[in-house]
Amino acid sequence: MTVLLDTAPPSVYASAAAVLVRNWTGSSTVPSRTLYPHQWSWDSAFIAIGLRHLSVRRAQRELESLLGAQWGDGRVPHIVFNPSVPHTAYFPSPDFWRSSAAGAASGAPAGTETSGLVQPPVHALAAWLVHRADPAASERRGFLQRVYPRLVAWHSYLTGRRDLGGAGLTANVHPWEPGMDNSPVWDGPLSRIEPVPAGSYRRADLDHGDPADRPTDLDYGRYVRLAADYRDRGYADDAHAFAVEDPGANALLIASEHALAGIAAEVGADPAPHRERAARLTGALLERLWDARDGIFRCRDVISGEPIDERGVAGLMPLLVPGLPAEVVGALHATLTGPHFRLGELPLVPSYDLKGPAFDPSRYWRGPAWFNTAWVIERGLRQYGLLGDADALRSAVVSGAVESRFAEYVDPFTGEGHGTRGFAWTAALALDLAMTTVTAVTT
Amino acid sequence: MKPLKTAAQEQLLPGETLQEKWEFAQAAGYDGIELRAQGDFRFRERLPELKQALADGVVMPTVCVDMLHFFGAFDAGLRRDAVEQMKSQLSVIAEIGGLGAQTPASYGMFSRRLPPFEPPRSEEEDREVLLAGLTELGEHARREGVTLFLEPLNRYEDHMVNRLEQAAGLIRETGLDSVRIGIDSYHMNIEEADPAAAILAHAEWIGHAQVSDSNRFQPGAGHLDWQSWIGALRAAGYDGWLAAECRLTGDPVEAVRSVPATLRRYGA
Repeated sequence: MTVLLDTAPPSVYASAAAVLVRNWTGSSTVPSRTLYPHQWSWDSAFIAIGLRHLSVRRAQRELESLLGAQWGDGRVPHIVFNPSVPHTAYFPSPDFWRSSAAGAASGAPAGTETSGLVQPPVHALAAWLVHRADPAASERRGFLQRVYPRLVAWHSYLTGRRDLGGAGLTANVHPWEPGMDNSPVWDGPLSRIEPVPAGSYRRADLDHGDPADRPTDLDYGRYVRLAADYRDRGYADDAHAFAVEDPGANALLIASEHALAGIAAEVGADPAPHRERAARLTGALLERLWDARDGIFRCRDVISGEPIDERGVAGLMPLLVPGLPAEVVGALHATLTGPHFRLGELPLVPSYDLKGPAFDPSRYWRGPAWFNTAWVIERGLRQYGLLGDADALRSAVVSGAVESRFAEYVDPFTGEGHGTRGFAWTAALALDLAMTTVTAVTT
Repeated sequence: MKPLKTAAQEQLLPGETLQEKWEFAQAAGYDGIELRAQGDFRFRERLPELKQALADGVVMPTVCVDMLHFFGAFDAGLRRDAVEQMKSQLSVIAEIGGLGAQTPASYGMFSRRLPPFEPPRSEEEDREVLLAGLTELGEHARREGVTLFLEPLNRYEDHMVNRLEQAAGLIRETGLDSVRIGIDSYHMNIEEADPAAAILAHAEWIGHAQVSDSNRFQPGAGHLDWQSWIGALRAAGYDGWLAAECRLTGDPVEAVRSVPATLRRYGA
């Protein structure tokens, strides 16, 4: 087990661990006690990565409780609802998704209410990191044996029913799915969607968040339309009006597929199919989404068949993918440190192009810097030996997290906190970067 | 981050004298010995022995009461004796440069979970008795420059103070800095919905910590999540002691020897 307490100044450990203790519910961690009172899929994965430093057992439970709500078709839902929280605490609530009834044909669990969407697959990577934090405890509890088949089914869903473009990459069918809800990258494909009338639902996010920091009502009406249509089709993966191949979600899928190879070897399964799938996905990512002219991965609109002409932070996240050609790494690094993202000048990495027409330093995923994307990019920089930038970003994540009282996201120029405070993945990932020495995902 | 200090209660350590026990304790990685204090002023009678041990370099930060009646007793005579015994124990631990003495409100006197279920004294009367005792002992501790540690016990061993929240409420009411909670991982495992969250919620009141596992055996022999328990103490800024008060399973010498390494492994 890697308990490297001496490497973390007490204030980082104490304050980050306090957030994780306070947000723990007994079987999982809420992202925020006020704004997000249920379990979120990619939040749980990022949280487990930090939670392993506070409790390997809780980190295992975090992932196991999420995977316990997996659907029969392999999908891991983006929200698992806590039945003891009133429906009014969050919208869309279980009575909107109606997963146990509407999702029955897709194998939604009968006894647990969930959403029907997914979020990026960070889970196998998280499981592997949690295992490695204390391999003996992991083996004693049969952790990898339990999660491996579920993670395999999860990736099969993403690369099977969700290969909507037919080129091998996974597609996302709602702006909430790549995890960057209101990114300007979705503005084009989203504009084709007819919003539901404003009075037909009630947002709960504005009860706890500043409206200027949150998505607009118009966007929200479109989110609701897409989710309701998906539900009304029984969560079947056909006839999607919105479908995109996101470089961030696919990069995390590839990193997790490499982690699955490591997990397979530990549990006595064959790692080769996972390595082969990772290689195929990497090839497709480069072929479909790499924009060599601008040095960034583009999101692809599957409906129109065209790349989306926007620069989002997701386009830099493939740095996490092992084995990229040197010229791609060099170009990504140049974009990251160039005028559109200004790594090195600014403390973290903005979520959207600083020079883009839709840039807004305070509104959610339209410019603010987030800590999970910084964690991914830090790991990618380190992987490719760009240690100076990796070290600086690591320090900025830790200090920015503590100084903002673990804000959900921050102003990319000033580091001023926005959104909720005591945000669990901010605490978890700051703790992780403060306490571990990152090594390659697999050898 | 500085390591937390670990201690073993004296009866757990092999050796005839405190000096012999200390030699073993140091080799096993302990930083101190927690003393045990019997009634009838026998702890005071040990002063020459304790002073010699101190002179020989034995570290003895705390003492834990080892009697069958306590300051929350139903019987007024026993109550008075328990208060006098505790005052003496506080004075002795002060005299050998220690930090304080630990006591529960009662032990083995009554349980609301066992017949006859209804105690002979009302909750209001319990509270008056506890506040009077804590105030008298706390004022004595303050004069001596040490701390009284109030230990919540599980519901089968005491009917008055089971959770950190209850102990914190009583201590707050005394208004005395010289009374703090002496937490015990075993009792918390039974009584607290989330031991780590309870530690964090009542951090400012915690003065001492005793450790034993879910089954009352040495840490590592049961199923407590030590990493989160110790992690919460770290998050709370706790810099006190972790004193092993437990039974031993397996070879007793090996068992007691294993404790510091186990606690370190989980972040102490």
